[in-house]
Amino acid sequence: MRALRAVAVGSVLALLGLLVWDLAHQNGPGVAVKVDKGKIVPAPKLDLPLLTGSGNLTLASLRGKVVVVNFWQSSCYPCKLEARDVAAASRAWGAKRSDVVFVGVNAQDLKGPARAYLKRYGVTYTNVRDALGSTWPKWGVTGVPETFFVDRRGRVVPPHIAGQASRAQIDNGIRRALRS
Amino acid sequence: MRLAVAAVAALVLAAPATACTPRASQAYLETRLVCIQCHTTLDESNSTFAVEMKTEIARQIKACRTNQQIIDSMVGQFGPAVLSTPQTHGFDLIAWVLPIGGILLGAAGLGFGAWRWRTVRAPASIDSIDTFLDAEDERRVDEELKKFDA
Repeated sequence: MRALRAVAVGSVLALLGLLVWDLAHQNGPGVAVKVDKGKIVPAPKLDLPLLTGSGNLTLASLRGKVVVVNFWQSSCYPCKLEARDVAAASRAWGAKRSDVVFVGVNAQDLKGPARAYLKRYGVTYTNVRDALGSTWPKWGVTGVPETFFVDRRGRVVPPHIAGQASRAQIDNGIRRALRS
Repeated sequence: MRLAVAAVAALVLAAPATACTPRASQAYLETRLVCIQCHTTLDESNSTFAVEMKTEIARQIKACRTNQQIIDSMVGQFGPAVLSTPQTHGFDLIAWVLPIGGILLGAAGLGFGAWRWRTVRAPASIDSIDTFLDAEDERRVDEELKKFDA
């Protein structure tokens, strides 16, 4: 009987421990909410396979550069609306400065349509694939498209663009990140 | 001329022969795979992405791929999370073993509990009790019983 009681107490303690661990490891609201309040926060880790070709890209490897991080899906209508503007901005900034780069994060998408999207909208900057959208909670992405600006020190700076980004918004974001 | 006609006829007749017979079932695959965006099986979802996945499955069926090949290609793209049921090997095996093990363990626990309850609570037979009453009480009971016999 005493052994049974010990097993029951042990089980309850183990479940409590699991609950505490889960609460301690929850992601919170993500950086988007903080950036929307005007805060500058360290960029979450980004280490994902390339959408085209092989190998991975880490955000850390781009330290020292301003990075425009654009989350998108091939089936998303506003993504299609902004795609040419984002691609044009990447080409224009790429021609002007080598310390401004664009990274597309394609999430929860089929590879075929995603690659066709890049071709159709003339996207030439690096794109990575986040098959299950596992990066979304940390970045605070709630839908697509969303665009973040990471400064040269690896921090996410305002503005954060939720929804279709215009060329003017992108340019403004990059300028602010360069000044940060 | 006759040769050209024969060649065209051969091509026309050969076309159906080269087209494959589909070896996979769209309906089956839609129950085995989950829409990654809406987290329901494909047959229960009509979201844009679910429709895209269904189209991709249809394309692969048309290309004569088997059920398993199509499932493997989806797992290759999204990992095991795209499956509607856990796999029967590796870590996912726990999802199958744990409930069955839990039921067996629970049944064993109940059986053991019932057995113990019966053992502890079973009334002892009168014969097995050596001293049911002390001597004085026994004498008084005998006396009373004798009154009935008389």
